[in-house]
Amino acid sequence: MVIKVENLVKRYGDLIALDHLNMEIKEGEIFGLLGPNGSGKSTAINCILSLLKFDKGTITIFGKEMKPEAYDIKRNIGIILQNVAVFDELTVYENIDYFCGLYISDKKERQILVEEAIAFVGLHDFRKFYPKKLSGGLLRRLNIACGIAHKPKLIILDEPTVAVDPQSRNNILEGIQKLNKQGATIVYTSHYMEEVEQICTNIMIIDNGKAIATGTKEELVGMINTGEKITVELLQPNVEVLKEIRKLPNISSAELNDHLLVVKSSKGKNNLLFLMDHLKNNNISFGKVYSEPPTLNDVFLEITGKKLRD
Amino acid sequence: MFFHVFKNRIKCLFRDKQALFFTILFPIILGTLFNLAFQNLNDIDAFSKIKIGMVKNQGYQSDLTFQQVLTSVSGEEKDALFQVTYTSEQNAKQLLKEEKIQGYIFIQDGIQLVIKEDGLYQNIIQSFLNDYKQMQYTIASILKENPSVLESVMKDLGNRKNYLKDVPPGNAAPNWVLNYFYCLIAMTCLYGSFWGLREITSIQANFSPQAARLNMAPVHKLKVFGASMTAAVAIQFFEVLALLAYLIFILKIDFGNQLGYILLTCITSTVTGVTMGAMVSSLIKKGGENFKSGILVSISMLMSFLSGLMIADLKYVIQDKVPILSYLNPANLITDSFYSLYFYSTHDRFFTNILILWGFNILFSLATYFVIKGQKYASL
Repeated sequence: MVIKVENLVKRYGDLIALDHLNMEIKEGEIFGLLGPNGSGKSTAINCILSLLKFDKGTITIFGKEMKPEAYDIKRNIGIILQNVAVFDELTVYENIDYFCGLYISDKKERQILVEEAIAFVGLHDFRKFYPKKLSGGLLRRLNIACGIAHKPKLIILDEPTVAVDPQSRNNILEGIQKLNKQGATIVYTSHYMEEVEQICTNIMIIDNGKAIATGTKEELVGMINTGEKITVELLQPNVEVLKEIRKLPNISSAELNDHLLVVKSSKGKNNLLFLMDHLKNNNISFGKVYSEPPTLNDVFLEITGKKLRD
Repeated sequence: MFFHVFKNRIKCLFRDKQALFFTILFPIILGTLFNLAFQNLNDIDAFSKIKIGMVKNQGYQSDLTFQQVLTSVSGEEKDALFQVTYTSEQNAKQLLKEEKIQGYIFIQDGIQLVIKEDGLYQNIIQSFLNDYKQMQYTIASILKENPSVLESVMKDLGNRKNYLKDVPPGNAAPNWVLNYFYCLIAMTCLYGSFWGLREITSIQANFSPQAARLNMAPVHKLKVFGASMTAAVAIQFFEVLALLAYLIFILKIDFGNQLGYILLTCITSTVTGVTMGAMVSSLIKKGGENFKSGILVSISMLMSFLSGLMIADLKYVIQDKVPILSYLNPANLITDSFYSLYFYSTHDRFFTNILILWGFNILFSLATYFVIKGQKYASL
């Protein structure tokens, strides 16, 4: 076990930011902490990192109690914070070298590690640039390089893709998967369910400081009653169609938006097949058909009654 | 580790153009303006000889006593009172008309003074003549009424006793304009507070994300803080030296010849500035770096103002009316250290100031230590 959190409670006055949070992160995982803004993700991370005081609970990392002076643990952790944490007065190279130097004192060894980090995030052409001259995406990459240059075993990324363009976001996500393949355990917090779905091998959904569900994506989806969402393009839309469709097994709702018939099903097998049969049998002509399996947003919606990005 | 942090902090601070402007360029500009504004002020205060005319008529020729007295207070000597032009009455009138002399004396039925207008110089000439006349009258009276005591009276008159004694405190001539430059150096030292502020921001995880990252590194926070503060003091001390060099070698300001003590004052004051900034920054939890900078500028300016940066006399008024404030104001202690170095031959007052400043340095450092020693935060 890389991280074990038991009964973590953090209060800000009357507000309970973390409510008896339990968490277990195994070696080699990409653990996703998914939740809306203000759900307690960053608070949990800061408590785990021993930056924040907490009211109750125990935290162990690599089997040892995490404390501010636990330097042997800290030596193996890399953090990439939500806000870019670099110095404007240092160049790309100097920034990475500075933070790496807090872990690695040998200059030659550090030089190699810094070069590797620069290559990893693709900032070779920008090594002499100051952060203010970098675009948002490049700046995020620099932020990541500063956190990983010392080759940590555990990398914690707190919403590293906020305000990043799609291309840079993909680069970052690919990089995280690469780091994981190189052996690092990853903790990844985000309120973007697509990102968590894409890269995380184990996911915890958190809301109001409580863990509401934990598991792989498949396990999480399996916990809810919501089934697939089927969208059918009708060539001759007719409101009367809806009544019959709603009577089909496992169909929880059916709506017609212009030419598009949107059918939501509850958990069950062959929902798409039943719907197609119904349309054919009733001579309802249709064009394109889309079927989307339930997402983590559906999981969150069903459990909390609200959307992830509400 | 220490050198790694120190080196990078030096880079960071040295590349901060905005802070560099305030901590070095601004004082240099201000020093240049002071120099331009105060260049001739000391000369204005210097006393110049009063130009008078002496009519060389028969009355003058026959009054040998007055001739002697007038000769004794005029001439080429530096401390002479009058510069006398001996001339005819007609020419003396012309010189007065052309304002080449402040007045002229002629002796006819007594000693007469002719002036064109009233003023300080005219009053001095009149006082001199009154003094002479009074003494002349006194001697005449003694001769008439009791000639036997004349000898002892003359002896006493010749030995005027001055009950005020000039005690030269040092070798330097008084120069009140210097106080402005002392204040300028004091202000520059206190501007080290900007660096102290920055170092706290870069080490407290609740103030900046960089500091949060630093707090996660396997290094003791206070070791990093020590290296950062050393970098801040080094940068500021370098800037104070640069300012001092500019004032001494470019503007030719004379700060005396006690370079070692001057450097001791500079390093002490720089530590005061940096530690003060660190303390203020660590104590103020809310507000960003700009807000804290604003507070530090206000504090530094107020201290410098109270030590006489804008009104030189204010320093002495405070020393006279609220002396405790003089000892509680680091800027005043810094200016007073320079002042005592320049004007006094002993170092008692200088070392008192330096000791009090180190007291402040320790106090500021301890206060900062107690605030930042915690390695966990209530909120981020």
